[in-house]
Amino acid sequence: MGKCIISEAHAIDYVYGELDPSKMDEYKEHLMTCNNCTRMVNSFKRVLQLVDDAEGVYAHNISMPKNLQSKLYRRINAEDPVETTIASKFTSTISNLLTLMNQQKATVFSLFIVVVIGTTFFLTDPFQYIPTYKENVDDTAHVKIQEYRQLEIQRNMEDVLRNRHLRNSNKWDRVSQLNRVKDQARGTDWATIAHQHLKSVHSEL
Amino acid sequence: MDKLIDDEILVKQFQSGSQRAFDELMKRYERKIFGYLLRSVRNYEDAEELTLEVFFKAFRALAKWEPKAKFSTWLYTIASNLSIDYHRTKTRHPVYVLEDEDVLETRVVANDLSSNPEKQIEDMERGRIIREAVDELSSKQKEVFMLTRYEGLPIREVAETLGMAEGTVKIHLHRAMKKLQTLLRPLMENNEI
Ligand SMILES: [Zn+2]
Repeated sequence: MGKCIISEAHAIDYVYGELDPSKMDEYKEHLMTCNNCTRMVNSFKRVLQLVDDAEGVYAHNISMPKNLQSKLYRRINAEDPVETTIASKFTSTISNLLTLMNQQKATVFSLFIVVVIGTTFFLTDPFQYIPTYKENVDDTAHVKIQEYRQLEIQRNMEDVLRNRHLRNSNKWDRVSQLNRVKDQARGTDWATIAHQHLKSVHSEL
Repeated sequence: MDKLIDDEILVKQFQSGSQRAFDELMKRYERKIFGYLLRSVRNYEDAEELTLEVFFKAFRALAKWEPKAKFSTWLYTIASNLSIDYHRTKTRHPVYVLEDEDVLETRVVANDLSSNPEKQIEDMERGRIIREAVDELSSKQKEVFMLTRYEGLPIREVAETLGMAEGTVKIHLHRAMKKLQTLLRPLMENNEI
């Protein structure tokens, strides 16, 4: 059997689902007998699979930037201050307030809790124990503290990684920075990551 | 607001003064546009800035927009022009590119502090190699590849978005695939097909 003359472009179109439908059946049949084209098709499929995995994880796990919409409107307003009538001022104040409430759900929620507790305090026996609200407030505080801790660790980790690429960065500095992050991160997955980076620094030393 | 309302109707509503219609359009597309730009520029802060720029330009231009193409195609056109400009003006500093990638990766991990960190690191390393290969594509090859593969646009719409003939889009796509095949060969040989 001579060398197959069907082009690579054909294989790519096929893998991409862009092959002309009229040529589809013919090509599928051809694939059953041509090793050369089958190998090409498989190789291009593998390329797409590898890139899909890498890109899928990449964008899927990254969180959206916060408050894009309000940042946009701030910018629009800054570049083009619209002449304000009383009515438009009123609506924009209301909509800003709504946006703010949306963004600051936690704050509004805590305020609400405070108001509820306050009202209950005045309306009922002030020394009556109200466990539900207390638990809620504690939970929120606990979650916030955890969040701050994670953020702090992440920031330190980012600092270390950023320094890694500075030309004059001293490897021993990095070791001590990483050790600090590792201590700080004890009990979280960050500790493992710091450990991995430590190992790779040690192997360079 | 009703999800079933066409983008183009929302545009009409915005043109007759409804800011909420624009909010809804932004809500529909901010994630996609941000994801697209993030893949394109590989830097979180720059992608955010460019996303804002896309919607800023859209907000400005939408008053005079006429539905010759789909709204989403138009939005991607703005985004891809910005990203091409970005790559044109950005002088390549390998040191910083690496730095950005690292910081991004810690973000990825931070969002998924789950099960198996060791495997995560392995995947991160592998992912990095693959994305570096994608970044080796010329800017047009990369745009075409990304728009077809990750924004799910058919060749015809990519052609419209980038202002190219369909044949030209296909040529860029073929070259992109060939180049990726060459660059990723080492990874493919580890995993027999
Ligand atoms: Zn063949």
